[in-house]
Amino acid sequence: MAVTSGYLGSEKANAEHHEEEHDPRESLMYDPRPRGEMNAMVMESMHTTSWKFWVVLGVLAFLVATCFFYAWGYMIAEGLGVAGVNRPAYWGVFLVNTVFWIGISHAGTFISAILRVMKAEFRRPFTRAAELMTTFGLIQAGASIFMHLGRVWLAYWMFPIPNERQLWPNFHSPLMWDLLAITTYVLGSTMYLFLPLIPDLAMARDRSTGWRKTFYRILALGFRGTEGEWRHLTTAMNIFAFAIIPVMFSVHTIVSWDFAMASRPGWSSTVFGPYFVLGALHSGMGAVAIVLVIMRATMKHMDYFIRKEHFDALGKLMMIVSFTYAYFFFNDYIVQWYGGDKWTDTLLHWLEEGPMAWMFYQMIAFNIVIPFLTLWNKRVRTTPWLLALIGGLINVGMYWERYIIVPVMLSINRMPFTWRLYEPGIEIYLTIGTFAMFLLFYMIASRLIPLIPVWEVQEGQMVHSLRKVGKAHVPTVSEFE
Amino acid sequence: MSDTTLMALFEDIDPASEAIDKLHEMGVTDDRLNVISGVPFTHKMLGRPHPWTNVARIALGGAAAGFLVGIFLNFGTPHLYDVRVGGQVLTPIPPGLIIIFEMTFLFALLSTFLGVFLDSFFPNYRPMEYVPEISDGKIGIFFKVPQDEQQKFTEIMNQMGAESVQPNEARQL
Repeated sequence: MAVTSGYLGSEKANAEHHEEEHDPRESLMYDPRPRGEMNAMVMESMHTTSWKFWVVLGVLAFLVATCFFYAWGYMIAEGLGVAGVNRPAYWGVFLVNTVFWIGISHAGTFISAILRVMKAEFRRPFTRAAELMTTFGLIQAGASIFMHLGRVWLAYWMFPIPNERQLWPNFHSPLMWDLLAITTYVLGSTMYLFLPLIPDLAMARDRSTGWRKTFYRILALGFRGTEGEWRHLTTAMNIFAFAIIPVMFSVHTIVSWDFAMASRPGWSSTVFGPYFVLGALHSGMGAVAIVLVIMRATMKHMDYFIRKEHFDALGKLMMIVSFTYAYFFFNDYIVQWYGGDKWTDTLLHWLEEGPMAWMFYQMIAFNIVIPFLTLWNKRVRTTPWLLALIGGLINVGMYWERYIIVPVMLSINRMPFTWRLYEPGIEIYLTIGTFAMFLLFYMIASRLIPLIPVWEVQEGQMVHSLRKVGKAHVPTVSEFE
Repeated sequence: MSDTTLMALFEDIDPASEAIDKLHEMGVTDDRLNVISGVPFTHKMLGRPHPWTNVARIALGGAAAGFLVGIFLNFGTPHLYDVRVGGQVLTPIPPGLIIIFEMTFLFALLSTFLGVFLDSFFPNYRPMEYVPEISDGKIGIFFKVPQDEQQKFTEIMNQMGAESVQPNEARQL
């Protein structure tokens, strides 16, 4: 095209300007395909496995067998002495893992429930991937608590039933609140995962043979898609979406109260509840980014469902959560720093200059500085591997944060003669075991459960349209209600 | 004359909703027809009566039950075996609010889940009227007509844009 100069500039400049504009048809919601084709894509992504998949699955299964089951069995046989927990750090990596995994689980609820309530349309293709993280993360959190108990066979002492002497559990204890909150969350989030899955299980049932057909037939419960079934299902999903949000907030708030209710330097803080919730969302969002990138890179046809727009939206969410996390972190820090309590001052100095200072500064760098410096940039947000890298760093930072809160803050207390740096023992293997089990469950699920909620994607595509306003096509959205 | 169930399969919602109107005009009442689809079309889109659901009521009942369980756990159980600790209230209210909150929501969620099963008659593994094309996005209208009028209804549904119209027998899903 010849470039000519005009009164207000060149045509080339105009052309460049138009090229920069985002074409709405690049979005999943404006690029519909027939439902049958989308079903076939999702089914193929579940059925296609390479030898690499089985190798990774085998390695993870080996790690679960050795680092999870064998190591836990060994600890049960030998006693908690093989772990690093000791005076004064009675709570070690087991509780770090518990808090970490509950944090990971928050992303599923946040993405699925809050974004559903707010009608954020970009959520549609990856709600299930996030909900699965919730369920599998909570399994690891629960396992970590049972590991921490030591004599795990006595766990029923915490159940709300009377013991041999008709004595009931003490419901004034934050540890009992924990049990009830986590139980509510595990059951609630698992049911919330299952309900929207039923239509997709029916879809898989209609396209399967052999043992898969039997598997999906049982799980689909006889769903056909009648008006009544849809009505009951959507009503229940709406109730769940609203009810699971306060439960989600309560879980991590109550976990934070395990610490904040104690009058200890570093722990006694009124802002711990929201600080923990934000921290949970922070690590959860990072984990979702990692999972989506891996899904897109390793599973067939996922590049149709998971696009740059989704990474962009997720990156923005991560940035906002990072800002908010920074606000709560500073709020907690400055009040403790200003308070003037001798032991809190000692603890803060120890964090900033002591042997664990590297962890403290990495925590700030990974959770706040790096997201601040990078996520404002759209190119970074829309580059999947970069977003996954930032998500990974956030998770390392959040793990360090929980490590500082649990064993490090327990090490520095009001009795200097008990000070001792915590060194994990068998906890290291058990931590590897929980990570391996999480990944193993996810990999198995990716071959058994449709990770893309196809009916929700189709529903979204049906209510999105492009309306011509002047010379532009403007995205418009209506509602299915 | 006995009735037969016909299934008209449509590609889009527009002809399907018009076909439902036509069936109404021809005297097929709402209790004799059923619509099955792969996405949750609303009753307004289909021109059908509002489907009744008890899920919200069951959820509310569950929440009330959970509330009472929470009250029992926090304010009842300490009295079953008093363990009095100097200076502390036996049944303090603030921790009680946490227990009541969790129990209320736990029971509400459980009963919501149960409500779907009860209202939808899940699980149901008996043979049912269905075609797998439904989960491919097609819309199926199942309606009962007298056997001697089968031909007439088939032709009209075809005119309304149905991809196929055929007698449908219950099948194993």
